[in-house]
Amino acid sequence: MEYSALQVILVFIVTFIAAIDQFSFLESLYQPIVTGMVIGLILGDVQTGLIVGGTYQLMTIGNMPIGGAQPPNAVVGGIMAAILAITLKLDPNAAVATAIPFSLLGQYGVTLIFTIMSPLMSKCDQYAAEANPKGIEHINYLSMCLLGLIFGVVVTLFFIGGQAVGSAVVAAIPKWLSNGLSAAGGMMRFVGFAILLKFMMNRDMWGFYFMGFGLAIIVSGISSLATPALLILALIGFGFAYWDYQQNTELKGSVAVAADTDGGEEDGI
Amino acid sequence: MASNETTAQTVNRFEGVTHYQNLTPAPDLDQKTLNKMAWRSCFLQASFNYERMQSAGWLYSILPGLEKIHADNKEDLALSMTHNMEFFNIHPFLVTFAMGIILSMEQKKVDIPTIRAVRVSLMGPLGGIGDAIFWMTLVPILAGITSNMAIAGNIFGPILFLIVFNIIQFALRFGLMNWSYKMGMNALDTLMEHMKAFTRAASILGVFVVGCLTVTMGGTQINLTIPNGTTQAYVAHTATVPTEDVSKFEVISKDTDGTTLSGMVDASGNPLATTDADGNAVTAGATDLGNGMSEVTYMETVTSPVNVDIAKILDSICPKLVPLALVMLLYYLFSKKNFTPIKGIVLVLIIGIVGAGFGIWPSIWG
Repeated sequence: MEYSALQVILVFIVTFIAAIDQFSFLESLYQPIVTGMVIGLILGDVQTGLIVGGTYQLMTIGNMPIGGAQPPNAVVGGIMAAILAITLKLDPNAAVATAIPFSLLGQYGVTLIFTIMSPLMSKCDQYAAEANPKGIEHINYLSMCLLGLIFGVVVTLFFIGGQAVGSAVVAAIPKWLSNGLSAAGGMMRFVGFAILLKFMMNRDMWGFYFMGFGLAIIVSGISSLATPALLILALIGFGFAYWDYQQNTELKGSVAVAADTDGGEEDGI
Repeated sequence: MASNETTAQTVNRFEGVTHYQNLTPAPDLDQKTLNKMAWRSCFLQASFNYERMQSAGWLYSILPGLEKIHADNKEDLALSMTHNMEFFNIHPFLVTFAMGIILSMEQKKVDIPTIRAVRVSLMGPLGGIGDAIFWMTLVPILAGITSNMAIAGNIFGPILFLIVFNIIQFALRFGLMNWSYKMGMNALDTLMEHMKAFTRAASILGVFVVGCLTVTMGGTQINLTIPNGTTQAYVAHTATVPTEDVSKFEVISKDTDGTTLSGMVDASGNPLATTDADGNAVTAGATDLGNGMSEVTYMETVTSPVNVDIAKILDSICPKLVPLALVMLLYYLFSKKNFTPIKGIVLVLIIGIVGAGFGIWPSIWG
């Protein structure tokens, strides 16, 4: 597959914007479900782009920047997965797994940028002490451009150089490896689920996890509910959560009001 | 060196300064400035770094307000900008809540240590709540639904994702900006009062949804069959033969113990019966066609291997056991063995590739 200069430029622009968007701006344009579709549009295979984007998105659920942790980079990973699937005709799951090394590279890139930016802060201190708002603004704009530029160049290089190299690599991949990558790609999402659980779980929460598991088995067994299944389940879950919130706040609320009254009297005295 | 020293002096001249020079409260910020700051808050992490994290982006976001509040005194503006350049890290979608409170304090010219204390105290609780709302509840549900639409080839999946996510994001950004600015200090109390209950409720919904996702998105199944001996079954054959030859088909061949291997009747002379591929009963016998020919239905023993399908057994215990087991294993490794996400991903890659076999055995993943 040959690419026009326009396609290469568009891939660069998409990566540039997505790289900035992963931390600033809408913080949703960079999600693989979106970049998959956009890359599909650029490379003329929207269908594959959608499928790969959706598959990669499922993997990243939970693999989010929770508590400041840096997960494997979804910008590079999502864009590369879509590119690999479309240009090399890889199976979506295999494409997602093949993109993992790229996403790790993206993660290192982010770590590098966050380190490089640190010395710039003393420049900000100086602008602040001089009451120079323009200086602060420029540093922020400069940082965003730098981030977009680094990501854009790296992904574009993968895109141009990758198609020749990539085809050779894919042809050389034995069946057991592509099967394994495909299976692993399907399992990646469990990593995300487990990380979510790690952050939310404590001993009195396990019941809710298994309740969700059990109810989902029932709902997913009804074929007519296949599409709205998650929404229905979320409504049930909301019911439990809201009830629990009311239980806690109504009990606590009365205590807090009593405490406030006491405090007021003391202040009065 | 000389210029470095002056720079250091400029930066350090506010050390120990606790009050603004002009202590007269500034006039209220107009709606336009508040909106401008809410928009700027989208770029909170523009210059994120490991040293101060969001501080430069935070200062960038509140600058329009600070410039208005300290418009009459450049030295106060410099002081305000300097202490707002200190380390800051908060949830990016809820930052406007902190902005409103800090701006109301700046406007009232509260002393610097108090502003600093409130700003620092806001970092903790908002992070937990923001993660609970966005990364643990909204995104898993929304991405779960829209990803399945996308995988089905529906282009509205990504579009719906963007629309819903951003409506919620901007409603929160602009809503919190106005609300917290007006509530000022009181807002903090309101939040802290119900924070624990709110975080708990959000976690319940989050945990519940992850349980659901384990089922609805857990496609992994074991594709393993174990050979378990053989079984013998009769397969019916039909032939048209001269009527005088029918008796030859009664017993064509016998096993050593007298069991009919091929023929129409068993050892005690009763007709053999079996079921065909469609599950219909077939009985051995002969039908005289009346023209000297007969149609005979006779049986032949076929030996076929028996396989135990692991997936069927697991599903009969409880469906989706493999996804559940994998999630539990990974949870254990992350929470008890301090596995990093990268380690978990590498482990999954190994499980997948080993499961697919190094060309020695077939893939066990279906």
